[in-house]
Amino acid sequence: MEKKLSEMDYEEEGTIKGIEKGFREKVAGMGIREGKEVKMMTKQPIKGPVVVEVGRSNTSLGMGLAAKILVEVKR
Amino acid sequence: MSKVLLMGQSNVGKSVLFNRLAGARATVSNYPGTTVDFDKGRMRIEGQDVEIVDIPGSFSLEPKDRAEEVAVKMLEETKGATVVCVIDSSKVERGLYLALEIIEKRHSVIIALNMADVAKDANINVDAERLEEILGVPVVPMVATRGEGLKELVSRIREAVPVEIEGIIKNVGGKSGTSSHS
Repeated sequence: MEKKLSEMDYEEEGTIKGIEKGFREKVAGMGIREGKEVKMMTKQPIKGPVVVEVGRSNTSLGMGLAAKILVEVKR
Repeated sequence: MSKVLLMGQSNVGKSVLFNRLAGARATVSNYPGTTVDFDKGRMRIEGQDVEIVDIPGSFSLEPKDRAEEVAVKMLEETKGATVVCVIDSSKVERGLYLALEIIEKRHSVIIALNMADVAKDANINVDAERLEEILGVPVVPMVATRGEGLKELVSRIREAVPVEIEGIIKNVGGKSGTSSHS
C-alpha cells in the first residue's frame, strides 16, 4: 500500500517510491531518495515534525516536506 | 596550497580532526551541529605552514540553515583550497552525496573515511581502495579520536586534485547527465 511519508504510523516501515519534483535535492543530502527503506521513529502531534530512520541515521523532516514523499509501506 | 577546509555532514568528527591537525581546542560534543561558525588554525604540511578551517556540518551544498550557509559560503569564497571531506564510515552513502557535490564544483578533494572503528563494530566494511579507484581522489580510512590514519591523511593531502564528475559516473556504470539532478 502506498501512502505519504507524513501519513506513516509509528514504527511503520516502507520503501520510498517517489519524491515530488523540486524537493528531491532538498532531501538527497539526508540520504532520502527513491528506493531507500525508511522507518517512522517519532511522530509529533499537531503537525509537528517526524523523525525517520534512513540508512542507519535518524533524520527529522517537517510535515510539509514529509507530505511530498510517497512510500510503499510493508504488509 | 593556500588553505585546507574540513567539510562534511554533521556529527562525523570534523572538529576532532581539526583539533588533531591544528593542535587546537575546538568544542567537540556528540551532537550534530556543535560547530555553527568556523574555526581557524594552522598546521604544517611537508614543512609548509598552512591555514586549516573547521567548517560547520552541512548535509548538502543547498543550505537549509544558518550554519549550512556559513559552510557553503566558505567553500565558494576559498577558491584554490584543498577540501578534506570527512565521511562517517558507517554512513558512507549519505556522506558521499556532499563529497560528490564538492567534487562536482571542481574543488581539490581528499576523503577522510572517519569513524572506521564505529563502522567495523557495526560489521560495515568500506573498501577504501576501490572507492579511491572510482572517485579518482585519495581516500584515507581513519579513527580521528585515536589519531589513526592521521599521518596518512596529512601525507596525502597534496594528492588532492580536481576530477571530472563524468569520469566518476562512468566508473560506476551510470549515464552522464541523466542519473543525478534530473
